[in-house]
Amino acid sequence: MNSLTRRQVLRLGLAGLAGGLLAACGGQATSTPTPAKSSGAATSSTATAQTPTTAATATKATTATASTASGSSKTIRIGVIFPLTGTAASVGNDAKQAVQLAVQLVNEGAPDIALPLAKGGGLPNLGGAKVELVFGDSQGKAEVGQSEAERLIKQEKVVALLGCYQSAVTKTASAVAERAGIPLVNGDSSSPALTEQGYQWFFRTSPHDGDFSKIIMEFLQALTQQKNAGIKTVSLLYEDTDFGVNSAQALKAEAQAHGLQVVGEVKYKANATSLTTEVQTLKGQNADALVPSSYTNDAILTIKTAQQLGYLPKMIVAQDAGYADPAFISGVGANIAEGMCTRSAFSVDITQLKPAAAKVNELYKKAAGKDIYDVPARDFTAMLVLLDAINRAGSTDPAAIKRALEATNLGPNDTIMPWKGVKFDSKHQNTLGTGIILQIRDGQYRTVYPFDVKTIDVTFPLKPWNQR
Amino acid sequence: MTAHNRRPLPKRGLVWLSVIVVALAAPLVFRSDTALNIGILLLLYATLAQAWNILGGLAGQISFGNAVFFGIGAYTSTVLLVRAGVSPWLGMLAGAALALVVALLVGFPMFRLGGHYFAIATIALGEIASTIVTNWDAVGGATGIVIPLVRDAQGQPSDSWRMLQFNQSRLPYYYLALVLLALTTLVTALILRSKLGYYLRAIRNDQQAARALGVAVLRYKLAAIALSAIFTAIAGTLYAQYLLYIDPETTMRLDLSVLAALIAILGGVGTVAGPLIGAAVMVPMSELTRAFLGGGGNAIDLLLYGGLIVLISLFEPQGLIGIGRRFRRSPRSQPVTVEPAPISSSEEAH
Repeated sequence: MNSLTRRQVLRLGLAGLAGGLLAACGGQATSTPTPAKSSGAATSSTATAQTPTTAATATKATTATASTASGSSKTIRIGVIFPLTGTAASVGNDAKQAVQLAVQLVNEGAPDIALPLAKGGGLPNLGGAKVELVFGDSQGKAEVGQSEAERLIKQEKVVALLGCYQSAVTKTASAVAERAGIPLVNGDSSSPALTEQGYQWFFRTSPHDGDFSKIIMEFLQALTQQKNAGIKTVSLLYEDTDFGVNSAQALKAEAQAHGLQVVGEVKYKANATSLTTEVQTLKGQNADALVPSSYTNDAILTIKTAQQLGYLPKMIVAQDAGYADPAFISGVGANIAEGMCTRSAFSVDITQLKPAAAKVNELYKKAAGKDIYDVPARDFTAMLVLLDAINRAGSTDPAAIKRALEATNLGPNDTIMPWKGVKFDSKHQNTLGTGIILQIRDGQYRTVYPFDVKTIDVTFPLKPWNQR
Repeated sequence: MTAHNRRPLPKRGLVWLSVIVVALAAPLVFRSDTALNIGILLLLYATLAQAWNILGGLAGQISFGNAVFFGIGAYTSTVLLVRAGVSPWLGMLAGAALALVVALLVGFPMFRLGGHYFAIATIALGEIASTIVTNWDAVGGATGIVIPLVRDAQGQPSDSWRMLQFNQSRLPYYYLALVLLALTTLVTALILRSKLGYYLRAIRNDQQAARALGVAVLRYKLAAIALSAIFTAIAGTLYAQYLLYIDPETTMRLDLSVLAALIAILGGVGTVAGPLIGAAVMVPMSELTRAFLGGGGNAIDLLLYGGLIVLISLFEPQGLIGIGRRFRRSPRSQPVTVEPAPISSSEEAH
């Protein structure tokens, strides 16, 4: 008797499951036309993109824009891989919003934004062809990134790939792209190894750890030489991951090159529950400046522990990541975070200097509900660089796109970044990208270095804990 | 567990034969690279689960540290390849040998722990190994190792049997993985019928009683972990050559150990077919839910995948193989075959 009821329950469960699966697949099948509808509504007038509701529906859809409704015969499919679930999901989804916005600008236009291709109406050299994005979720795992790259290239027939945030994921995806002969444009992975492995189909628009470490040390040197900050020694604190280890290596090399002495390195286990020993060690090293490479949780823990133990160097300049996350400021409190610095590739106050960036930020804020920041801004830029190349290639042939990417030559006003432009070297690394240094002031990130793009004067040294 | 051994052999042989034919023919029917990718992952994870089954299923020693052996296989062959240009075929053997040594070294003290304590110790082992590799710069440390692409004279990625790398077509990876899985499955089947298999099951059912009957418990447990380690390590080498990139995250993560156990347990623990059925259901489920639902970033794919696992384990603690038995048994309703109580066998599995 017992087994009979069990069997019934089992069958019911299986039936429900099958139903659920069918419903899910059906939902997927019917969801494909949905973005076409919403984008169709948006294309009818560019002004609708300004209203929050349509902007939201356009970006909520899985594919940013599908040209089926627009009447254009050609659609260019680009595959995008981000960590849409997992620990980096929030950054991944913000980056997704940014690349969708880039495609929206090209497909529908925003004539008041002075960026290449933002006139609208698709890609002019391809008869006004529209761009369609197909997203893959890497879950932040290297092996999933490989599967997704494979699927997007072979199944979804994309002509180029963009992604993938975590350097490990970008490594496996770039190997797939290399095998298949499909360009992969990366805007947000900082491991120098990516462009060092000599792949022919891999392009990086963003600066890498080496460039970023250079700007940090340059900044510390400038503080001492031009502002008498008296910073001669540096401690490094970094997590035991690809990011942390590479970052520390690059920082060490650049510190030497800029006449700074690294008096100690402290490596810790990522997502640690306690950093007391590490902070004690740093305190013992007593360096003038601390350069940490940590993600948000660890960054908050480091600063809270430092406060408890009374550890405070003259200056803290972080290698981006957690220290550039607004959640860091709210996590430790604005008055505690006051005065700390981080490198970045973008800051929202750049919009004061770059009108195009200000307008892009306006649109981004409507879609995502927050200001654009470093990673989304870099991916927005990478997507526009890729679309610019496809347009110049005048073809969807991957080899032609690759040649066009190699010939990319964008100037300081062609991107929203505080860069000199985009131009790839023989290893396909952008040579005109630079980092900037931000300082936390009254709970906001403000650009303080290079001095010619600063929006506020840097303050130093850090105020003692008891005076905050 | 012994009930299925009583069924007439020819019928079971026919089932296995058709499974082999289907597996051989599958990539010729489903030609897309996406299907091939799922196929390769399926075979590799099935091998992991089958190797886990030798230790966790037959001997009842629940291990959550098998990723250590996987990592040893991946790292040994890759480091030899990148540092010294040694062919991964030799690296594979070296990795298997090293995994064997490590298995015996760690098995010796760990098998003194019973039940849950053994499982906890294996988790610790996995964490220790992953921390060592993460901080060991000579093997790439946290950055991992990229295996360079084999290129032809024109600089195009090409195939090489010597280097165990196939860039033109992924088909060889599929058949290599299939051979490895067949081998692992054959060994499991042979163990089940051999004296070793009876000893292992005796140990699983009651270690004290087995010892009282004169079974050399430690020796046979070591044999089980050694075999499990060897096959897991070989799968590690193959996986590294397939992914062309390894780091502690991808090869030594706790996830991977859990996945091996999960596939075996969901499929049907302690049986030859269980891990295969488990992998055949779980891997496509994970890949397809992500392909259809993953791009939205709302984790519906993971929810669905997790939900399926929960349902299966709730309603059929014997694993998927139990569902098959249930349906096959109901029309015959022989009193003898109804006998094995699912509750008691599920307790063993946990």
